[in-house]
Amino acid sequence: MPGLGTSFGRGGATTAQSDLANADAILIMGSSMAENHPVGFQWVMEAREKNGATIIHVDPRFTRTSAMADIWLPLRAGTDILFLGGLINYVLTNDKMFREYVLPYTNLSTVICEGFRDTEDLDGVFSGWDDIKKRYDHATWQYQNVETLGYDEGHYGGGGHGKEGTGTSHPNGCERDETLQHPRCVYQILKKHFARYTPEMVEQGSGIPKEQFLKVAEAFTSASGPDKTAAICYSVGWTQHSKGVQIIRSAAILQLLLGNIGRPGGGILALRGHASIQGSTDIPTLYDILPGYLHMPFFKSGHNNFNDYILRHKSRKGLWFNYDTYFINLMKAWYGENARADNDWCFDLIPKLTGDHSHFGYWLDMREGKMDGLFVLGQNPAVGASNGRLERTALSKLKWLVVRDMVETETASFWYNSPEIERGELKTEDIATEVFLFPAAGTAEKAGTFTNTQRLLQFRELAIHPPGHARSDSWFMYHLGRRLKKKVEGKVGKRYEPLQKLQWNYKTEGPLKEPSISQVLKEISGWDLTSGKQVSGYKELKGDGTTASGCWIYSGVFPAENLNKALIRSPKNYLGHGWGFSWPNDVRIIYNRCSARPDGRPWSERKKLVWWDEEKQEWTGIDTPDFDKKKRPDYQPPEDATGTNGLAGDKPFILNADGVGWVFAPTGLMDGPLPTHYEPLESPLHNPLYRSHDTNPPEDKKIRPDNEYAPIGDGRFPYVLSTYRLTEHHTAGGMSRTLPHLAELQPELFCELSPELAADLELVHGEWACIYTPRSVIEARVMVTPRMRPLWVQGRTVHQVGLPYHWGYNGLVKGDVTNDLLPISEEPNVRIMETKALVCDIVPGRRATGPEALKQWKAHKEEAA
Amino acid sequence: MTTTAFLTDSTLCIGCKACEVACKEWNELGDDGHTWTGLSYDNTGAVGHSTWRHVKFVEAAPLLGFGGNAPDLASWTFSSDVCKHCEVAGCLEACPTGAIVRTEFGGVFVQPDVCNGCAYCVVSCPFGVVQKNSDDGRAFKCTFCYDRQKEGLQPACAKACPTESIKFGDIDELKLAAQVRVEELQSRGMQDAQLYDPTETSVKGLHAMFITRGDPKQYNLPPNPEVPTVYLESAWKSSALAAGVLVLGGLFAFLGSARR
Amino acid sequence: MSDPIMNLSNEYTPKGWKPRKEARLEEIKEQAKEFGTVEAKGVVPAGAPFPKASPETGYYGIPLLKQPQWKPEIPIYFFVGGASGAASVIGALAHWTGKDRQVARDARLVAAAGAIISSGLLISDLGRPSRFLNMLRMFKPQSPMSMGAWILAGFGTFSGAAATAQILSDRLGFGPFRILGNVAEGFSALFGLPFSNYTGVLIGATVIPVWNHNVRTLPFHFGMSGINAGVSILELMGNDSSPGLNRLGIISSAAETYEGIELEMKRDPVVNEPLKHGASGWITRMGGVLSGPVPLALRLAAEFTGKRRSRQLRQIAACSSIAGSLLTRIGWVRAGGVSAKDWRLPLEETKRPRVQKSQSREDYPHMRKIS
Repeated sequence: MPGLGTSFGRGGATTAQSDLANADAILIMGSSMAENHPVGFQWVMEAREKNGATIIHVDPRFTRTSAMADIWLPLRAGTDILFLGGLINYVLTNDKMFREYVLPYTNLSTVICEGFRDTEDLDGVFSGWDDIKKRYDHATWQYQNVETLGYDEGHYGGGGHGKEGTGTSHPNGCERDETLQHPRCVYQILKKHFARYTPEMVEQGSGIPKEQFLKVAEAFTSASGPDKTAAICYSVGWTQHSKGVQIIRSAAILQLLLGNIGRPGGGILALRGHASIQGSTDIPTLYDILPGYLHMPFFKSGHNNFNDYILRHKSRKGLWFNYDTYFINLMKAWYGENARADNDWCFDLIPKLTGDHSHFGYWLDMREGKMDGLFVLGQNPAVGASNGRLERTALSKLKWLVVRDMVETETASFWYNSPEIERGELKTEDIATEVFLFPAAGTAEKAGTFTNTQRLLQFRELAIHPPGHARSDSWFMYHLGRRLKKKVEGKVGKRYEPLQKLQWNYKTEGPLKEPSISQVLKEISGWDLTSGKQVSGYKELKGDGTTASGCWIYSGVFPAENLNKALIRSPKNYLGHGWGFSWPNDVRIIYNRCSARPDGRPWSERKKLVWWDEEKQEWTGIDTPDFDKKKRPDYQPPEDATGTNGLAGDKPFILNADGVGWVFAPTGLMDGPLPTHYEPLESPLHNPLYRSHDTNPPEDKKIRPDNEYAPIGDGRFPYVLSTYRLTEHHTAGGMSRTLPHLAELQPELFCELSPELAADLELVHGEWACIYTPRSVIEARVMVTPRMRPLWVQGRTVHQVGLPYHWGYNGLVKGDVTNDLLPISEEPNVRIMETKALVCDIVPGRRATGPEALKQWKAHKEEAA
Repeated sequence: MTTTAFLTDSTLCIGCKACEVACKEWNELGDDGHTWTGLSYDNTGAVGHSTWRHVKFVEAAPLLGFGGNAPDLASWTFSSDVCKHCEVAGCLEACPTGAIVRTEFGGVFVQPDVCNGCAYCVVSCPFGVVQKNSDDGRAFKCTFCYDRQKEGLQPACAKACPTESIKFGDIDELKLAAQVRVEELQSRGMQDAQLYDPTETSVKGLHAMFITRGDPKQYNLPPNPEVPTVYLESAWKSSALAAGVLVLGGLFAFLGSARR
Repeated sequence: MSDPIMNLSNEYTPKGWKPRKEARLEEIKEQAKEFGTVEAKGVVPAGAPFPKASPETGYYGIPLLKQPQWKPEIPIYFFVGGASGAASVIGALAHWTGKDRQVARDARLVAAAGAIISSGLLISDLGRPSRFLNMLRMFKPQSPMSMGAWILAGFGTFSGAAATAQILSDRLGFGPFRILGNVAEGFSALFGLPFSNYTGVLIGATVIPVWNHNVRTLPFHFGMSGINAGVSILELMGNDSSPGLNRLGIISSAAETYEGIELEMKRDPVVNEPLKHGASGWITRMGGVLSGPVPLALRLAAEFTGKRRSRQLRQIAACSSIAGSLLTRIGWVRAGGVSAKDWRLPLEETKRPRVQKSQSREDYPHMRKIS
């Protein structure tokens, strides 16, 4: 998400899935869209059938998506930046840039300050790298002549999700060179940075044959210009890497250079890995952001107060000028009358970050016995998280564990049924954790919204009451909150204030006393506290405490008393207006100012979306304009103008302080302003580009005895392993391995490998094999298929093995937990684990059971390479 | 009542199995057992009494045109199999109880309240579709969502299919659409695209047609399906001959022997 | 490949990569290119087998057709039905020619008993036995099973009536019973004619290749088998000195012998394999031998020996024929099951499987053996 957030301003897909039908070329990478977003894939098919679009799929495996694509390129897992960098190099070398778009709409012409040094200068790191603290100081990445606030401790602790391009950079008077000749303008830096990403390098590093690469490069880059657009779709295959954010950045740079952002049939479609994960980052369950991608405040002495917080994040220009307004509205929604200007809107009551409180952050604390209790709601980390062995052992250190789910997941049963119990590493009688398993309501048994991958909110009404004691999560949370509030009533002390001052007066409905979801949604959308009426959008929110909104980006979903836009189902056009509500403001393709020329006319008739109506003196078009409706295209802001008024009429990226798309990201990311190829944390090969740095320098490997890594080129683990999903199962399998007619579709865990590797190792199709990594060993059925191919990389044959991860030890169909093989690692920005590229060994035969399995795994680890 | 039909265009199938699951959910069918076959991603094998839509995964010889262009790579195509609802249906002709009927929509339907499980339809289907459920006792197959069609809805599988690979509609319109589509595919370089609708056999055509790439045999679509009624003439002739031998032989045997 | 801009410092070799093996493979490839053949054995070429779907291998060798789902009751029914149907005709003929009253009397009982047992067997095979009367909802000439249901209904009614009339007229000596019995006997024979052999039509007119390939001879074969069994049962009931029965038995076992020889002599089409190989093949062949040459020889011998000896021979022939008839039905039904599993047959281009060389199953070792 920060990949998109830093580049464009918002961390979300830039377009709607139905818009893919307008594309002239679609690159699907880091995703098997046909398998994991089959409904969305229909529009890719439409593009192919009706538009004659070229569909390109780049993936280590030939999947069901590849079968539908025009061209499939095999890729060594973990070398995505090499490929994308190769495309960027191709664009720059062959002058394929869409110049008329790039110059006004991106920061390609902006000059960077003098102290900046590229990875090409420093053999793998940018300037500002502190090798001891293992992090970057961004001071030398800034624009020339622009003041910045330096980065602070909290930012390193807190990572940086979503919204970026913010107040830490105030680009007043940044220098630009429209001729692109200045040696420190972004264009020149970009050229130098990607100079070595030639087609030969791509072939050497990722195994893609040169002619194939050039064919794809030509096909994709020629779908650019006033008349053509191309889209990129990606998913978890890009995000779950040690440099995932940078991979996405490469795609963003490519799309900006080709002029595809904000235009029909273009953009970057981030395919989120779950039906409502977009919603879970918008109204986040993430530790480091607040609803609407506001920052979670961090603890640092001297900077604990509200004013410092706002100063840090408010920018003078662009939408984030209203940062304080959005924050205040959130506080009013949470604390109601208790939040006032004189108490800094209850800023003191929000918990402050003191470090890494991400999933792995606190889970490792849990492993050390530092946590008392845990709620696990609709999640199954015993199967879904990396290093299952560590995860499940950590659970045994808790005093109490609450699991809410529709079935007894592996997380809930870890104490009597798990590989650790089987191997004797944990004994049930020694585990002191008290486990509470609550039945949860299913989708049709509760009301609520989903926010899908294209930022679309869809409200679901309750169809049938849940059976027995099953209850929805909202019921649980509401009544838990109510009881906790009752417990602290009348108590004195600062630690009780957050609960006491929390506004928790939701109406309840129905025989089960469910909290009114409509009321919650209304609160999220926002209302005027003086009149009691709903606001129509975030533009009506005020920073004086007279309005409240639980999430400013959702503001407008419930604009009037009986108008729930998330509930309506009458689509008017191909973008789906009239069906649900797309944040922000029901814009379907964000940054759509880009779909018009700087003077306001559409780029072409074929690719028109939003344009300036000279008669009505406003922006109009097929989509809701993601722009000030009345701002003229030729508007030039006065010197001291603030907010979006401080941005000119041809600056489409209204969340960025300079209003342009960031090809070069001066702030917001922990691991560099430009993407660089690094090897995955475990790889058979060294980085072909840089001697001194094989892997992403700021990556946190969390090395511990129970989280070991194989050094690069480790002979014990010579094959590349990649994990992935199948259409037939749902994540950790709780909802699919427990239903007979779903379980039968893919009943057993299997690994996919090439016929060449099978012949080499005498693996027989249909038999069993053991897969070893430094973390664990599992067994799987062998599927020999030509869809996996050995790659010729840097003079060696590299074999890749694929494993789906859906199986666990509960359910109708069981299997080993694939994620036991993965290490816990934290990407520097979002702290996500690397699951897509690691190393393994594979041996025919079955895994031993019981304590023998541990011995088997250790023996393999200890054998000489 | 128009005659409706399926046109399953395998070139649009992404192998997601939504049709298989939608059918099972709508008709409340159970599972067929949880065995891993190792045959590509197909763990079902064939349609049967508890699976009425079945997605086939064909890993085969390379296909030019689209779908993985590496020359030495096996291609991967998907096709959703279903009861063919033959114009002249073997199961219907064979059913002695009259349980199997032709509905007003032209589909072939097994009435579950009449079927007594004689299993003669099972050996009369040239496509191996209908099967008896030994636990239940009756024979089952795709109903063409007769209950849904009566309410003006599409069959569940067609509804669920995200890419409209399963097309549902008036049979004449679909036949025309199929022709147009095959021509279009061939003009795009896919010479091996073809329509599977064996109108020249005794089955006289299907109400569930398929557009496939490559030889239909690799999808287990037989080149010459025959309704077993074509064998009746020879069979009854042979029976008559046997009867004749019995009578004449018996007459000869008794007349030519002494009284006893 | 030296490339100064790259950092090549990798020191591992893939497991199992043996330089000598690779070199040997190269050598063999050169040989093949130059000479067109390779004599040497040696290297397993890279690439392990995996299941393929193709016009040659079908859909991974998964059979298209469904297996017959009949229980063991069905082949037994074929046997019982054939015997009792034939018996009713034999009895009627014996009665009308006036040559063998005892045979005629016994035949009525055999026919009636056969009808009752047949009905029991059929009803027990049904998935929903309580709905057996649904068989009579329709009269469908194009369905051999429908025809069979009605034939059985007719046969059962009239053979039952004939036997009952006989028993009653024996007990009560009531004249009209005898007449009614004779009328019933006539109709019973009329229904018995098809009843004795229609089961050949039943399985011949199906999609199962080994059955429909032999559809021209199957009803005749079953008919002769039925005569064989009917004659034999009547003999074992004490009519083993009836000359008519022996003659009829010679005719039927001669026909069975001819059928068996013809089947064996047909050049070996793939379709008829289940009748000659595997368990189904053994059973069918055994049935053929016990129905054909064995009783033929014994009966012929019986024609030319003395009374006592002749009766003994005929009793053995009768047992052999009964066993043979039963085994024949069992064999054919089993063969049908095997035939349905042969994935190659439905995919053949020709309308009727022609006589052709058997495809080698060794080409597809990962497919299950068909047996």
